[in-house]
Amino acid sequence: MSALKVLIADDHDVVRKGLKMLIEEHPGWQVCGEARSGRDAVDKCAQLNPDVIVIDISMPDLNGLEATRQIRKACPRTEVLVITHHDSDEMAAEVMDSGARGYVLKSDSDTDLIRAVEALSHHKPFFTSRVTEMFLANRGSRVTDPSEMMRNRLTMREREILQLLAEGKTAKEVATVLGIAVKTSDTHRTNIMRKLDVHSVAELVRYAIRNKVVEP
Amino acid sequence: MASIRVLLSDDHSFVRRGLRTILEATEHYEICGEAGDGIQTLELATQLAPDILILDISMPPPNGLQVASQLRQLLPKTKILMITMHDSEEMLRAAAAVGASGYLLKSDAEELLLVALQRLEEDRCFVSPAFDPSLAERLFGQATP
Repeated sequence: MSALKVLIADDHDVVRKGLKMLIEEHPGWQVCGEARSGRDAVDKCAQLNPDVIVIDISMPDLNGLEATRQIRKACPRTEVLVITHHDSDEMAAEVMDSGARGYVLKSDSDTDLIRAVEALSHHKPFFTSRVTEMFLANRGSRVTDPSEMMRNRLTMREREILQLLAEGKTAKEVATVLGIAVKTSDTHRTNIMRKLDVHSVAELVRYAIRNKVVEP
Repeated sequence: MASIRVLLSDDHSFVRRGLRTILEATEHYEICGEAGDGIQTLELATQLAPDILILDISMPPPNGLQVASQLRQLLPKTKILMITMHDSEEMLRAAAAVGASGYLLKSDAEELLLVALQRLEEDRCFVSPAFDPSLAERLFGQATP
């Protein structure tokens, strides 16, 4: 039987190191690659075609949730396990919406992570009881969730650009990162600001922080 | 050379595992214990009196700053290296105020953990290079190379 291929995505080397040790202690599991950002994760998924990707939410360039959406679209066979230190009802719902089929808090035990990878390797979802409770608690309030409203208003590309702008990149730098023309990048910025009804980069940054697109 | 006894404290098991892997690659450090929250850290630290405590700031209460503040009184010989993802000056000042000897960003841990520990062993301080060296020196003393 061939090894289960796992890709690890976290911007902290020390976390990737810990995860790699934990996963490779399990017989028949192999870490096929490591990614340091959401964009890197999307690229490596396409190259390496892992069975499971273990991905952090808070990462530069492209956060883990947006990366998950892109991965689920481009590599539907790859199961996504999100790990995070964000312990909130809203985040549990965000993770579910992104297409991830597993969600483990970084403060959960090693056993939870192993059980999650095991479940996903059989294409079964895995959520700890704490996460399930958070999700159920949040279901009633989804209609007015501001981050859901943002997702409905912005396209996937616009959400990517929102994160890059909120991280302090100029329209020219955004164009370079995404391989698009500066004029196109500028148009996206104008559209984002119009759709979100914000009128300055400072307001855009505040919006991105409030909606957890970037960390404060 | 006698090994240096280190206590690891972080509520994220992956981080503890990563730190352990880095330390175990040398024979110089003995990991005498691991704690996953503030209360456990206080218990293990007072019981084990480690040479160095590697202490995360963001943990369920008491957080790392509160733990450091209490241990400073109880274990004056134990050096405390704060390890955190917070790169704010405010947090750096808070760590210095509670008597930590070092401040290491988690993003630097793989590359600089051993450098930081070496500094602490030499009775010097360590602050991650992302901070203004003159501020680090004002707060921690001889923090810069």
